[in-house]
Amino acid sequence: MAPDHAPGEHPDDIAIIGWAQTPMVRHTDQTETQLLLEVVTGALDDAGLTRADVGFTCAGSCDYVAGQAFSFVQNTDAIGAWPPKRDSHVEMDGAWALYEAYVRLLLGDEVDVALAMGSGRSSTADPALIYPMEMDPFYLAPLGADALSLAALQAQAVLAAGDVTERQLAEIAVRCRRDAQANPYAQVSGEFDADALLAEDAVRAPLRRHDLPPITDGAAAVVIARAERAKAVCDSPVWITGIAHCAELHYPGMRDLTRSSSARTAAEAAGVPDGPVDVAELQAAFTHEEPLLIEALELHPSVPVNPSGGPLAANPVMATGLVRIAEAAAAIRDRGASRTVGHATSGPCLQQNLVCVLEASR
Amino acid sequence: MVESTITFPYQRSLGPVLGAFLTALTEERLIGIRSGDRVLCPPLEWDPETGAELAHDFVDVGPAGTVESWCWVAEPSEQHPLDHPFAFATVRLDGADTGLIHVVDAGSADAMSVGLRVAPRWRAERRGHLTDLEAFVPGEAPVPGGGGGADEPVTMMGYNASISYTTPVPDNVVRSEAAAAEGRFLGLRCPICGRTYTGGRGYCPVDSIALTAEHEVDLPQKGVLTSFTIVTPVQYPGQTETDPFARVHVLLEGTDVVLSYQALVDTPNEAIRTGLRLAPVWASAAELGDGAGDTREAGLIGWIPTGEPDATDPDLVNRLC
Repeated sequence: MAPDHAPGEHPDDIAIIGWAQTPMVRHTDQTETQLLLEVVTGALDDAGLTRADVGFTCAGSCDYVAGQAFSFVQNTDAIGAWPPKRDSHVEMDGAWALYEAYVRLLLGDEVDVALAMGSGRSSTADPALIYPMEMDPFYLAPLGADALSLAALQAQAVLAAGDVTERQLAEIAVRCRRDAQANPYAQVSGEFDADALLAEDAVRAPLRRHDLPPITDGAAAVVIARAERAKAVCDSPVWITGIAHCAELHYPGMRDLTRSSSARTAAEAAGVPDGPVDVAELQAAFTHEEPLLIEALELHPSVPVNPSGGPLAANPVMATGLVRIAEAAAAIRDRGASRTVGHATSGPCLQQNLVCVLEASR
Repeated sequence: MVESTITFPYQRSLGPVLGAFLTALTEERLIGIRSGDRVLCPPLEWDPETGAELAHDFVDVGPAGTVESWCWVAEPSEQHPLDHPFAFATVRLDGADTGLIHVVDAGSADAMSVGLRVAPRWRAERRGHLTDLEAFVPGEAPVPGGGGGADEPVTMMGYNASISYTTPVPDNVVRSEAAAAEGRFLGLRCPICGRTYTGGRGYCPVDSIALTAEHEVDLPQKGVLTSFTIVTPVQYPGQTETDPFARVHVLLEGTDVVLSYQALVDTPNEAIRTGLRLAPVWASAAELGDGAGDTREAGLIGWIPTGEPDATDPDLVNRLC
């Protein structure tokens, strides 16, 4: 769905005008509310706005991760909800909070600035015990089917199909960790040797340590605005020219795990194939997910993928996808790209995918 | 940091499709469901392509099948069905067109491969649960568990996860507890709006700024009952009350947010009313040594009426927050 006008010319065009993320760490003593306070203030400072300018807020977080029912209620302390604000919450990555905020701004009423957040403290408990509770309660949860095991089943399928080799996967990890050295927020970074990584024992064969994301505490926030407001307050708004998400069948045993049909559908709906892509930030938390997503999004082999280091460098569950979109926006505003893609995923084996196309003003 | 364990005990109804599958497991049988010209195992209630509800046309599949994908779990979690190293696998049972995700008790990763033939090993005690099929094992021959199937169709499935959380205790909560142990309230006044909070709140929720030691103020030990409820206890784990008891909201003088769900001391339920003036009852040093730290206001036992004339200010009574 390529827009028939230059981005920002139509009043319903919506731009990213500010963002912030916390340092990504294995463990923080800060509460989720504290993490959010930091990124909400940071994102609004980045946009040159205050909390009073925000007409709609939407947060993505997970009670199972927080270990507390309605944990998002106390997180509203971070948004300054007085006088009362229009607020929403998704039990999903903050990228879906951004999607809801985007849809809210399309209403075109008096609300012209919205804030999307994502936050998670995965250090709170063992992620391998939390994840199965989010799976099919009859066929997957009773097996303790954790994220690592389900990802490893998909990795094995991709390797068995001959789509990729274990060495190529190790080289993805080497590249991400190398690129992450330039990312001040990254948790895992440095120079590594693929041969040395491949010599290590498997954590969950066929996956080795380098194929996995770190366990991360962190949060992110993104400010978006309708065209008129965006142009008034921001010299270089980053326009959302396409955003779409799509889900497929939950149960991985009934899917072709060597493909991601929902990512392909979402990418087409967002208009990824309608123009060249300068940078793609993909929520590939496991190395094998990167080639799968590149194929689904039909990205040219020359497109830089995850120059931030991606989720292999920092994986703040519930914010990892939103960080991808913020990084894709930064590639335009701060590093001169013209058209970038941010991607988020949810569910076992890339079940649900969100794709966001961003463009610079022309 | 504070540690807590939350259990998630669920009883879920199965319906006619999942119930049929789990009932068949008690009979050491595996069934799929027809969806167009395909057979789905495990059976779903709907066609995954169209979402159309499927007729309950079940067919026996397996018992043997072929591994389509697998991974090796060297260190099982407490939620995994086997306590020694095993494989998770997607198993396409003979006669099915989809993969059943389950475990393979293969001994070693070296025994696993895509294309491996496996058969079920049945549990002796079967109750209509996915793990009645204890594990798949390499080979063509199922390993019987003995005994018969369920007398009645299985309609419910229990699930019980237990997760231990370690969560940070914010500084203000620590300082608030310390103050309560000394028989006083920690007040925190927002430097922007002037609202005063207690109870260890970390932020002014209106101005979203952190409240720190420099924002502390002394608070008087007087409050007004703004709202209340009488709880008739039902017995559940952890409930120690047996008779109807009150929980009240108290607006502490000098603050802007009520203290919720407070207890009253030596006050009959019939005497409780909004506007009642209250004073806090603090634990003695001896009492503090026993169980202090369990709640935010660790030293606060409850509230007792002062006997002063009731408050009548409509801005005070019936306040909920």
